[in-house]
Amino acid sequence: MAAIDSSLLQVQALYSHHGWLLGWLRRKLGHVSGNAEAADLAQDTFVRILVSHQREQAPELTLREPRAYLVTVATRVLFNHYRRLSLEQAYLQALEQMPQALAPSPEERLLVLETLNEVDAMLDALPAKARSAFLLSQLEGLSYQEIADQLDVSVRTVKRYMALAFEECIMLGN
Amino acid sequence: MTGRASPPESLSFDRAIARQAAQWLVKLHDDPVSAADRDACARWRAAHPEHERAWQRAEQISSKLGGLPGGIALQSLNRGSRVERRAVLKTLLLLISAPVGYATYRTLPWEQWSADLRTSAGERRSVALADGSELILNTASAVDVRFDAQQRLLVLHAGEIMIRTARDPAAEQGPSRPFVVRTTQGNIRALGTRFIVSAADTHPTMAPATRVTVLEHAVEIRPAIDAGRTRVIEAGQQVSFSGSEIAAPQPADRYAAAWVDGKLIVNAMRLDDFVAQLGRYRRGLLRCDPQISGLRISGAFQLDNIDGILNALPDTLPVAVLYRSRYWVTVIPSPTAS
Repeated sequence: MAAIDSSLLQVQALYSHHGWLLGWLRRKLGHVSGNAEAADLAQDTFVRILVSHQREQAPELTLREPRAYLVTVATRVLFNHYRRLSLEQAYLQALEQMPQALAPSPEERLLVLETLNEVDAMLDALPAKARSAFLLSQLEGLSYQEIADQLDVSVRTVKRYMALAFEECIMLGN
Repeated sequence: MTGRASPPESLSFDRAIARQAAQWLVKLHDDPVSAADRDACARWRAAHPEHERAWQRAEQISSKLGGLPGGIALQSLNRGSRVERRAVLKTLLLLISAPVGYATYRTLPWEQWSADLRTSAGERRSVALADGSELILNTASAVDVRFDAQQRLLVLHAGEIMIRTARDPAAEQGPSRPFVVRTTQGNIRALGTRFIVSAADTHPTMAPATRVTVLEHAVEIRPAIDAGRTRVIEAGQQVSFSGSEIAAPQPADRYAAAWVDGKLIVNAMRLDDFVAQLGRYRRGLLRCDPQISGLRISGAFQLDNIDGILNALPDTLPVAVLYRSRYWVTVIPSPTAS
């Protein structure tokens, strides 16, 4: 219990910099995105900190340099946000090419987007070719040989890519 | 989640175990897989609970990917390298002032009337209609609500709905508007009642038919092509009808409304019918091998855990569940029973 209390206190101390973080995020986002978005991302930043503090010891940085620590976490949140926006854009573009009759309902879109986002986050750190190999296998059902031909690499390399991607998924998925 | 009681290991994985699991997955995906490899993999999975957990995690992710619409998912996920993806973003942010996805995020479609209601596979949804009637959508269902001055109309495109009608509030000023469910096969008019309507399955070899189960009071069915065959179905009966005729009413399945509470209750149901039922609640393909289609199954099952039901099947029947790499699952005869 003592561990929880002290980590909560640390997060509370960080929270006193909330207003400052909000300003930082607004500047990063630029004026086009509006304040609501900055507020959401600030919220996400604190949620992330809270979750990680419950799981493990807070890094030294938290106490010594609270703003530096906030920026480190907020930058990750911001990148995640950008990644999601670009994913949504790509998804909407892909949808536009679909025949109208097959267009999914908004609810279906949301569900698909949620799953896409989850997968996208897992594959984010992979080299482009490894990600392509994994997606061709999992989404298109191509064999390793077919993927090798398409990406112009050896089957051995495709297997290495696949193992890499599965490993990432296991480590990051939930 | 039990907070501090569960150690952090339960959340993350040992990198070495994740790597081993990944290598096994790659190996088993390769055609043809030797029996020796398959056994070795099974031994590896059984050797430690963490091995099995890593394996399951990867399978889950594989299933998740298999459930996505292929072409669209590939285009969205395979959009250039990490750096490119982020570079695109900067310009993108300047171009769009209100990100579309975030807007759809916060407003759900059925907050507006006359909206089209949809559920995805595995989802159930209860909706209070403008007149006070209750509409419950089962899995993978689609219905439009079209209320106007003349009638309270629901158009059922797919899936299954239950309706509990309310007294029309408009009746205070004038005549009560009829409450009608329309399918391709015809109209079902509620006569102060609770009933279930299932849209026709898209089955290539069977004539499409709407199925109606009346739980309270009665409904009047009017086939779309031959309205002369209109007839009233009473509580406790179920009936199928096509555009031109209504089959003889049968006693209603006692558990026809169990799905409303998230349950599937069956009594000596054929396994192929059972698997087809489960398939409605799950994305992807779920098939039953014809060799075992005649096996019988009874019991009460939780619809929120279809994979759990599948995994438990081999405990009660001589079957095995084969997961392919994509969202494609087949219930097959147990290899040990033959």
